[in-house]
Amino acid sequence: MGLLTDPRAGSGKIIKFLLKWERPLCFFLYISGIVWILLLALPIFNDNTYFSENALLPGLVTKESNLEQTTKQYYTHLINEMKRYPDVMPYAWLAAKLNQLHLDVFTHNFTLIYPFQEQQFTGQNIYGIIRAPRAASTEAIVVSVPFRPIHSIYLDTAPSIALLLAFAKFCRKQKYWAKDIIFLITEHEQLGIQAWLDAYHGVTSGNGGVLISGDLPGRAGSIQTAINLELHSMKIASIDVKIEGLNGRLPNLDLFNLAQNMIAKEGIRQSFQRRFDVKYKNKFKNWWYHFNTLLMMITSQATGIPTGNHGLFHRFGIEAITLEGFEKPGQQSSDGNFYQVGRIVESIVRSLNNLLERFHQSYFFYLLPSTDTYISIGLYIRSLILIIGGIFVKAFSMWQRLQVSASTEDKKNTVVKQSKDDGFDIGVITSEILWAHICGVAIATSPFALTYVGKKMDFRTEDSIYFGFVAITILTLMWPFYSRRQIKYKNAALICVIALVELGTVLMCIAMHNFSLALLAAVIYVPHVFILPIMPKQNFTKFHRMLSFGWISLHPFMIASLIIMCYTYVNFSSDSLPLILFRGYRAIKQAFVFSIMDSMIYGNWLYNVTISTMFPIWFLFWNILCSNIL
Amino acid sequence: MKKQWLSNFILAGIIRFLLMNSEYQKVISDRVEVSTSLNSWKRVTEGVYLYNCGIDPYTGDLFHETPIGLYVFNFIQQHLSQWILFCLFVFTDLLTAVFLGLTAKQYATELVSKQKVEEKLCNENKETRNDASIVYTSMMYVSAGYLFNPYIILNCVGHTTTVFTNLLYSIALVSMTRSIFWNCLSISLLTLQGLYPVSLIMPAIIYITHSNSVKRKRNIINYVMVFASIITTLFGISYYIMGSWSFLWSTLGFILTVPDLRPNVGLYWYFFTEVFEHFRWLFIASFQINVSLLYIVPLALRLRHDPMLLAFSYLAVTAIFKSYPCIGDVGFYMSLLPLWKHLFQYTQQGFIVGCFMLFCTVFAPTVWYQWIYSRSANANFYFGVTLAFAIAQIFLLTDILFASVKHEFAVRHGINKDISGNTAKLLLE
Repeated sequence: MGLLTDPRAGSGKIIKFLLKWERPLCFFLYISGIVWILLLALPIFNDNTYFSENALLPGLVTKESNLEQTTKQYYTHLINEMKRYPDVMPYAWLAAKLNQLHLDVFTHNFTLIYPFQEQQFTGQNIYGIIRAPRAASTEAIVVSVPFRPIHSIYLDTAPSIALLLAFAKFCRKQKYWAKDIIFLITEHEQLGIQAWLDAYHGVTSGNGGVLISGDLPGRAGSIQTAINLELHSMKIASIDVKIEGLNGRLPNLDLFNLAQNMIAKEGIRQSFQRRFDVKYKNKFKNWWYHFNTLLMMITSQATGIPTGNHGLFHRFGIEAITLEGFEKPGQQSSDGNFYQVGRIVESIVRSLNNLLERFHQSYFFYLLPSTDTYISIGLYIRSLILIIGGIFVKAFSMWQRLQVSASTEDKKNTVVKQSKDDGFDIGVITSEILWAHICGVAIATSPFALTYVGKKMDFRTEDSIYFGFVAITILTLMWPFYSRRQIKYKNAALICVIALVELGTVLMCIAMHNFSLALLAAVIYVPHVFILPIMPKQNFTKFHRMLSFGWISLHPFMIASLIIMCYTYVNFSSDSLPLILFRGYRAIKQAFVFSIMDSMIYGNWLYNVTISTMFPIWFLFWNILCSNIL
Repeated sequence: MKKQWLSNFILAGIIRFLLMNSEYQKVISDRVEVSTSLNSWKRVTEGVYLYNCGIDPYTGDLFHETPIGLYVFNFIQQHLSQWILFCLFVFTDLLTAVFLGLTAKQYATELVSKQKVEEKLCNENKETRNDASIVYTSMMYVSAGYLFNPYIILNCVGHTTTVFTNLLYSIALVSMTRSIFWNCLSISLLTLQGLYPVSLIMPAIIYITHSNSVKRKRNIINYVMVFASIITTLFGISYYIMGSWSFLWSTLGFILTVPDLRPNVGLYWYFFTEVFEHFRWLFIASFQINVSLLYIVPLALRLRHDPMLLAFSYLAVTAIFKSYPCIGDVGFYMSLLPLWKHLFQYTQQGFIVGCFMLFCTVFAPTVWYQWIYSRSANANFYFGVTLAFAIAQIFLLTDILFASVKHEFAVRHGINKDISGNTAKLLLE
């Protein structure tokens, strides 16, 4: 109760300290947040991974499989079949093979109605179910492979389909399965798996009427876990475990550990983010290597785009990972090693078969600097808390300053102005905030209108969205100049306080779903927010201009474009500058369309959330930055 | 002025109506923060259906409204189309805002006259205020605070019966000085439905004692008699409607024994899922004493000069600690806050409370999604948020109460905030 009753807690030394040291303190918090995230990559600061779930019993079963020969047979047949039908999935052949194994085989049709052009695409998934001989079909494990035709731009997955068939053949004969196993071959990459999952659970994850998933003819129990296989060759030298899912969701750490351990046990090199575990003697080099791995995970998680088909399972509470196998570059596949690979899959699936409950023991929120160490939420969240703490310190000290100025003002003009200058003009403040948010929501839903208008003018979808966004950006940038407004210092400051608090809250909420995105956004936005000068009678100095320019580049569309440009430059740094610019320009156009598509088809909220929350916050600050403060 | 008043109401009505007709209506009405087992419209529909089938709706664990409520909702559901139903919800909310505005007007006039008396006594504050504008702003802010309160809007869009409860609350507040009958009727209806509002008779009685010193005792006895007779009549009517006393266990018993542990913004659900079964009754008793008995006498003694503040603090305490709270209750007492505009200069935790409230409101659905849908978080996360929400509300209430004490002190001693040039600070220890 001391906190409540003690007025010294209200405006005592702490507040004086805060007011005096506000800016240095904010920057100190910001920098210490960044230093903390840098330190996290140090091996001293993170723990070794361990198994939390007892029931997994990893590696304790006697492995019986020898899938090498069967895989090879299936592979040669499959390749022949694929050459006969180079553009489509050999449905009949796959269904026949699964039928020969006496599985319950079903096909699933789905349709994608492309949102802006009313085109239709169709696809088919094939899946076979082994019913558990030891239990009622209440739980299931999924083993899935994305089918890629020969002319696909992605790496080939035919070996994994062969392995899937061989493994199904092996599983059919075993008596110990306590969970159904679903062998699933999907078409059209993530569309297929999304449609299948929607149909399996009877829901629509994205916007209605875009991806029409229909219904499934056959089901197994509730899916516990899923393993997605993407093996690119018959001779696997290394296996990469991919975990980042839709909207930055991660699978349970136990599943990741299980996969990594089993891969290591069979003597195949394991990697994470395509980086092997390398131990340098030099401590700095060691840190740098780990930090880069960590940074790659953060950037790939921040986009919210799944790195493989596993990423779409997470939404349904299903833990899933992708095993991506690579051959050694330069080495032709003379003889395969699917004996080992088969055993990896077998031991993972058998461990999962042992599970008594869903994965719940280990971490769901973690970052990985290497394959065998992890950083738990308790450690990494501190960096963000420090940065966001700075925002709240700033907001609080601004608020306190307002209070102080209010009370001194009261003393000066006691009589007349009292009722007039009583406080803030609530009407102005609420309307300002309300309009900014309405703008945000309007822009978030604008693509429909933009493409509609674009279609009338014979633009392609990409062009109409891109130019629409450019127009919106210019409009929002010009708006404060167009309506040269004057705003009282007090109102401006209160709007700033509210915007700051909102920024802090939004970042924290995003961090709960997608820590990486929140971290990157905080690192970019927060220092600019700290140096915003909100003072009465501000004149437009050079510093102010520079600041405004910096703030322009933080417009959500601007910053997205800048990031994509940088990315293009890094990837194609050998090209000439105009070519890079052109490539970047095309990439930006596509990125905008893809992010909108992702939100409509898969329910990726990156686009929606940035536009409907970050944009209003940006706009509020921009308005204040450009208006005359009295 | 009238124009602004009217435009506020129209705007608020439009917002509610648009949201009700949008796709978000279903999402909002299914949120646990909005609909609890006591007030969800789904359950009302179910109960009415059972009643029409000739099945006693109280035998199951679905329906917890009063028989009188059942009768009224039965009428509503049978005779009103969906559009009129929507209009009814919106209209009830607007009516509540009108009554709250009237309450504010009344309270502000009372406050101004009180201040005049005190100014005469102290000769200290010689500020010439525009009384009419003070009354007007207070009225304006309170009604706007109800009309545009996001909690209230969600509550109305979610079609909870709390919309009607809030109307009764506002009637109880506005009739506190005017009409004994309406006051007693609304409070007893509220008591029948939610039990805790029975504490509101305390401020009402205090108002009576203030008003007339000659016939004080007779008036109090009169009030109590009217209240007792109305509530017995209501029980009688309920019995007449249902034909048995089974409803008692499903309404009052349901509130007191807390058998439904569905998560909500309150503190009961988590605690009673965790507590060992043989301690259950001990803790239920202590929780219920906390909300219904503990604060009544001390607060009444302390705030006997300001019954409206007393009513406010009862409402707040109930909304924080009651067994099935929803954000409609929270929003109701929060919209009364502008009544204490004159206390704001003495408050300390405004910023913290505001941040906490915003943070919890946004955070709760986030954590809920992670707990229920993606299974990466668990119940502790959500409970943490509700706990923080309760703490923020406690801070708010305590802050207002302390501010009122300071204000009283300042008025009585003619506080001069300057002591030898420096701003003095009041210490309360």
